[in-house]
Amino acid sequence: MLIALSWKNIWRNKKRSLVIIMAITSGLWGGLFLNAVWLGMVESMVETAISRNLAHIQIHQPQFDQDRDIRKHIADGDGIYRSLTAHNSIGAVSARTLINGMASSPASAYGVNIIGVNAQNEANVCDITTNLQEGVFLDSKYRNPAVVGAKLAERLNLNLRSKIILSFQNLQGGINYLACRVVGIYKTNSTQFDEMNLYVNQADLFKNLDTKPIFHEIAVRLNAIDSLDAVKAKIENIVPGQLVETWKEIAPELAYLSDMMDFYAYFFIGIIIAALIFGITNTMLMSVVERFKEIGMLMAIGMHKSKVFIMILAETVFLSLTGGIIGIVISAVTILLTGYTGINLSFIAVSLESFGSAAMLYPYLPLSIYFTLVLLIVIAAVLASLLPAYKAIRLLPAEAIRTN
Amino acid sequence: MALIEIKNLNKIYNTIAVPVHAVKDVNLLIDKGEFTAVVGPSGSGKTTLLNIIGGLDKPTDGQVIIDGRDITKLSDSKMVDYRLKNIGFVFQSYNLIPVLTARENIEFIMLLQGENKQKRDERATELLKAVGLGDRIDTRPAMLSGGQQQRVAVARALASKPSFVLADEPTANLDSASAESLLDMMEELNKKYDMTFIFSTHDSRVMKRARRIITLVDGKIADDKKS
Repeated sequence: MLIALSWKNIWRNKKRSLVIIMAITSGLWGGLFLNAVWLGMVESMVETAISRNLAHIQIHQPQFDQDRDIRKHIADGDGIYRSLTAHNSIGAVSARTLINGMASSPASAYGVNIIGVNAQNEANVCDITTNLQEGVFLDSKYRNPAVVGAKLAERLNLNLRSKIILSFQNLQGGINYLACRVVGIYKTNSTQFDEMNLYVNQADLFKNLDTKPIFHEIAVRLNAIDSLDAVKAKIENIVPGQLVETWKEIAPELAYLSDMMDFYAYFFIGIIIAALIFGITNTMLMSVVERFKEIGMLMAIGMHKSKVFIMILAETVFLSLTGGIIGIVISAVTILLTGYTGINLSFIAVSLESFGSAAMLYPYLPLSIYFTLVLLIVIAAVLASLLPAYKAIRLLPAEAIRTN
Repeated sequence: MALIEIKNLNKIYNTIAVPVHAVKDVNLLIDKGEFTAVVGPSGSGKTTLLNIIGGLDKPTDGQVIIDGRDITKLSDSKMVDYRLKNIGFVFQSYNLIPVLTARENIEFIMLLQGENKQKRDERATELLKAVGLGDRIDTRPAMLSGGQQQRVAVARALASKPSFVLADEPTANLDSASAESLLDMMEELNKKYDMTFIFSTHDSRVMKRARRIITLVDGKIADDKKS
């Protein structure tokens, strides 16, 4: 009956209880939904970067990253590529030939990363082919086809079938030239990537360089992201002496953002709940002050202070959980709906793309946050009840009974 | 042996600043089954005396011996248990729990005593019938008149099967008809169950019914009349 009494007590002043319940509900809804949007944005940035060119794991010659010298290619890259493709936890592999060079058009010239790929393998690892605005991804009748980013095309004033001259250092230290024809223009969510990267068939590069196949980067796409560290360890055994890195190590800023966002989600919700504690405390204090006489009577007729404390505590937990659960349900429905339909932020697409995020955001929140939140609300309610409950048990029954 | 024996009772408030001697050298014996009114002008110490007898306040010195046990020596926690099991309270403004029905209000005290649901239900129903509210069992206090609420309060006071009932100005908020009716009922309970009632009152209607009137003036017993 004590618990039933606590539940009934919170509905004595319906307006006041509803106001605090609405405050909790709207506070949680705002906090959870905003978190879900942020997490969706970071997830989009991570997923976009992985799908664009990062893949899950990359293999390099250990010194390659110092100066990206064409001569620092992976020893027996072809053999490694073949052994990785046979691995059952690996979904797809693309061996890339990377050369820093200059792209020149009749209009202008610009420094670019020349990425020599096998078109089919690259399409299996990354979604660059689905980002094509125009043309095809290297599969063309033209000699030395090239695929450029939209931003680079704009900078060099290129269109489909435009000619472009690539100049780059060869394996002997001299300069080679490769006349290419633009056969495709892609546009990803990163204008920076689109401006810097240009794809050619690696066979064309090998022919121009007069070399056997050389690879500077082997990009690996996994079947299941959960096995990232385990597969990395396996690959390290297959390719001793090469640098094997996960996407988190290659793009630490993204990994940091992803990890921080999880922490930030809890931190942000924590701040909202901390603010709500004051509101709940205030409501409960008013409720206790209004009932001095009644609480005095309860203690007079033989209710122990511990039971009075439990009654106030239960009232606070009920009040907070009612608002909390309504807030969680409304938030979950909103997040599920918008997570399904997506939120179209194309009106700020330019700003989002400069961060590497898609303009279409799909909010999501891990299930664990909802459970943790229920626990946090109970803890918050317990904290919020301390002052009102303390005030209640400090009453002297003989005096409290005579208050008006 | 008297039910309540009060020996050399003194209560001084604000012992350091401006001392107020609310109860002075009170000695009193109250037997089981008495229907006693403590009367006196405002500030005479009636409420203080009743609070001390009811264990809601501690005396500065003296003893309150109930059924052979000096309750002034009890710790706060033991005093709460003592009140729960031995003393019934009726307050001037009824002090029922507004969100509970008449039956639930009565059951609540038995719940604190640890009685099971069946016993609580049976006794609450029996008491509500005894105070003439058998047809208002599931009614909330707000739907009852002042007199009816005070009847529920009396039933609640009796629910714990106390040794005696302390009633502080129980008729102060009632109209004449309700007050007379309530007093009739209390007298009947007093006779039927040999229940001891001790009133603190200014009300002449209560004084007329009381079989013993203890008059307090400035904290001292000025008169003690039995009829």
